[in-house]
Amino acid sequence: MKSKRKIIITIAVCLGLAALAYFAWLFPFYQFESNDFETSLQKLMSWEYIKTLVPLFIIAGLAAAGIVLVIILRKILAKNSRKKTRFADVRTSIPKGRAPKQKPALFMAVRWIIMIAFAFIMIWGGLIFGLKMSSMSIPVLSCPWNTEQMTESSCYYLAHLNELFELPWYSIIAFVVSTFGFTILLGRAICGFLCPMGLIQDIMDRIRRRSKAEGIKMNEKMYGALTPIKWCLVIIFIGLCFAGGNFCNFCPAVATSPILAGISTSLYVSGFIMVLVLMGGFFKRRAFCTVCPLGTIMGFFHRFSLFRIKKDCQSCTECGACYEACPMGIKTIYTERGKTDVTTESCIMCGECIKCCPEDNALSMTFAGKKIYTSSRKKIMSGYAPDKNGREEK
Amino acid sequence: MTAKTEAMSMKERQDRRFINRETQTAARYLRRLRELPGAPEGIEPFYRTLGRIYADMEHVESEGRKVIGTYCVMTPPELVYAAGAMPVKLCSGDYTAFSVGDDIVPRDACPLVKAVAGFKQTGLMPVYEDCSMMVVPITCDCKKKIAGMLSDKCDIMTLHVPTSRDDEDIEEFIRQLYVLMEKLESVIGSRITYESLSEAFRRVGYAQYELSEFIRLKKKTPYLIRGSHAMAIMNSASYMPADVWGRALHKVNESLKKSIAENKTVTAKRLPRILLTGSPIVFPNIKIPLLVEESGGIVAGDETCMGERGMWDPAVITDNSFDGMMYALANRALRPCPCPTFADNTQRIYRLKQLVKENQIQGVIYHVLRGCLVYDFEYKRIEDELGRIGVPVIRLESDYNEEDIEQLRIRIEAFIELIKLKQPAEKASFQRRSFLK
Repeated sequence: MKSKRKIIITIAVCLGLAALAYFAWLFPFYQFESNDFETSLQKLMSWEYIKTLVPLFIIAGLAAAGIVLVIILRKILAKNSRKKTRFADVRTSIPKGRAPKQKPALFMAVRWIIMIAFAFIMIWGGLIFGLKMSSMSIPVLSCPWNTEQMTESSCYYLAHLNELFELPWYSIIAFVVSTFGFTILLGRAICGFLCPMGLIQDIMDRIRRRSKAEGIKMNEKMYGALTPIKWCLVIIFIGLCFAGGNFCNFCPAVATSPILAGISTSLYVSGFIMVLVLMGGFFKRRAFCTVCPLGTIMGFFHRFSLFRIKKDCQSCTECGACYEACPMGIKTIYTERGKTDVTTESCIMCGECIKCCPEDNALSMTFAGKKIYTSSRKKIMSGYAPDKNGREEK
Repeated sequence: MTAKTEAMSMKERQDRRFINRETQTAARYLRRLRELPGAPEGIEPFYRTLGRIYADMEHVESEGRKVIGTYCVMTPPELVYAAGAMPVKLCSGDYTAFSVGDDIVPRDACPLVKAVAGFKQTGLMPVYEDCSMMVVPITCDCKKKIAGMLSDKCDIMTLHVPTSRDDEDIEEFIRQLYVLMEKLESVIGSRITYESLSEAFRRVGYAQYELSEFIRLKKKTPYLIRGSHAMAIMNSASYMPADVWGRALHKVNESLKKSIAENKTVTAKRLPRILLTGSPIVFPNIKIPLLVEESGGIVAGDETCMGERGMWDPAVITDNSFDGMMYALANRALRPCPCPTFADNTQRIYRLKQLVKENQIQGVIYHVLRGCLVYDFEYKRIEDELGRIGVPVIRLESDYNEEDIEQLRIRIEAFIELIKLKQPAEKASFQRRSFLK
């Protein structure tokens, strides 16, 4: 009975999403008087640029209001629910002091620098460095409506396959070769290292950590419930163009890079979805990535990627810290007891599992066979090490 | 009137006899520990703590804080520290209390619980009397019933330990930790805040930092420390504040590092390396590690819950909100714990194999306390699995008395001889090498 209801709800949500995607142009979020696809460095300096940024301010404002609302609502609702009373407690609202933290890892710093630099390139790169690399397509959710990005993003032609075949043949070859090349070489490391949508969500997560607000803990059941929605989004992503729709009106990525680049793009459902993505990213790290259709497609090729997560099953104590830390909810990483390669289709190579692993060499990330990041007990405990004049002499 | 005074004096006599026997046994085992050669510098504070608690029967040095009794590794000490109290592990290994408890609880109950019941009956042990509250995780039937018995003496909070480690079980356990938190607050009269909880994490984390350093040094071959001494260090962690214990362990680590630099090892001979696993080994019931090392072996690995395993796993904070920290505690208490209370405990086998590999173990002693069913259940499978990688396993059943000591000695000596026979080539090469030196 319960499972039947679950199936009906899932189907309803999927159909709803499909309908929303198809009729996306009927729900304007913010419309410019005229869409101006011209941009230049002069425009970025002018008053006009601020005007194009208005929808971003609206999105940020709505997301902030939504987050505050959710926190307040949770407090009120939690009071009546026995299961969740802990969220109603005052002690969670005025956090003072600092939780112990391990020393920053080099890998994480490199990842952040690459992510920020790439987002910068994808937004303003074309304006500064020119469009020499624009024949290259990277499968990343950075909106190609921004005509000034350094490299092309594959998502447009993947979502508009019917238009792809109208291109000249050399463009088709360049598209196919570069897209597949990057997918196979880097796999979903693109999600963890390059994707600007990922960066936005990581920033939201950082903000939450700073504010010490309670997140939403996803468990296996919730991830399981998201799986059909993820597949439904993949079908919408690929199939919408054949049904006569335009995925871009639905895609949240439209709401960032074109506008930041000074291109006034009218937003339809994408604006609303972006608000949800920001809110989701605040409460659950990389919430959108768990259902991202482009990422799912890239996940098909995870067997070939040069980035791998390796596990030494002998050293693992099954403490589950990696699973707790994983933004994608990959459980096999701690239950696996035989294979050394634990790369799965949803792994985005963010390295969070390795950062949290307390056993020496139990988890490591390799690039083309070379270890680039390895778990270590010393690093985990580094936050507790006695400082020169601290705990030791106290 | 006279009958009453006589009865009183009889109680008094009994008490005096109990105290005499208890302190004597503890002092004897402490002496045996001290007599064992090769103790590192800086081990004295740990002996002193054990001596204080058992041989002198004094109060815990709690630095003026209230004392909360805990059992099992599932009780997060961080919560107790955060509430401003000090946790004391009450799992006992006392022979005298055991003989008292033997008449109170069923014959087939495990000696650990009998000893706890004995201390409760006599009401003489300051560690038990000091406790404002006791936290008893229900890891086996004996613990469940002893929780009920203890409840007429002080506040008891039972923690229901799930039988598996799925997401929902952890959710359930967290809810209990929140209940425990509230109970601690009401007993101690303080408030657990984000700040105090983080400070508690630092306190316990520091102890674990020193412990991981200690275990890293302990793994070194040729060995720098004997297993019995390490066991005494680990046992005394139950009665010392975590940071005091950590600082004391820091001194031991320093001296071990010094002995590496000076090329000083416990003994020049190559001793069979034994791994100790199974039921908890608690002072003063340390006859098995002592017997192993007196018979020419060395306890190189320790997988018992009052030993190194109990404190090994750190609580990894993956989310720095208050709830995230509680999650880390619940996760640490259940997921990495190889306690046989869980229905599927395959990970214990992997853990043992890891220890065998890291410490070059040549033989495993599977210690079973009489009546400890859950540990006994897992013996067969572990024997099979370890036999497959060529490590001999011996099952030693013991009780909290000294009657079986000779029998244990014979079996341990035979086991060690068996291991020595198995490695003639290595031994020869070692002698040759030392000859060349």
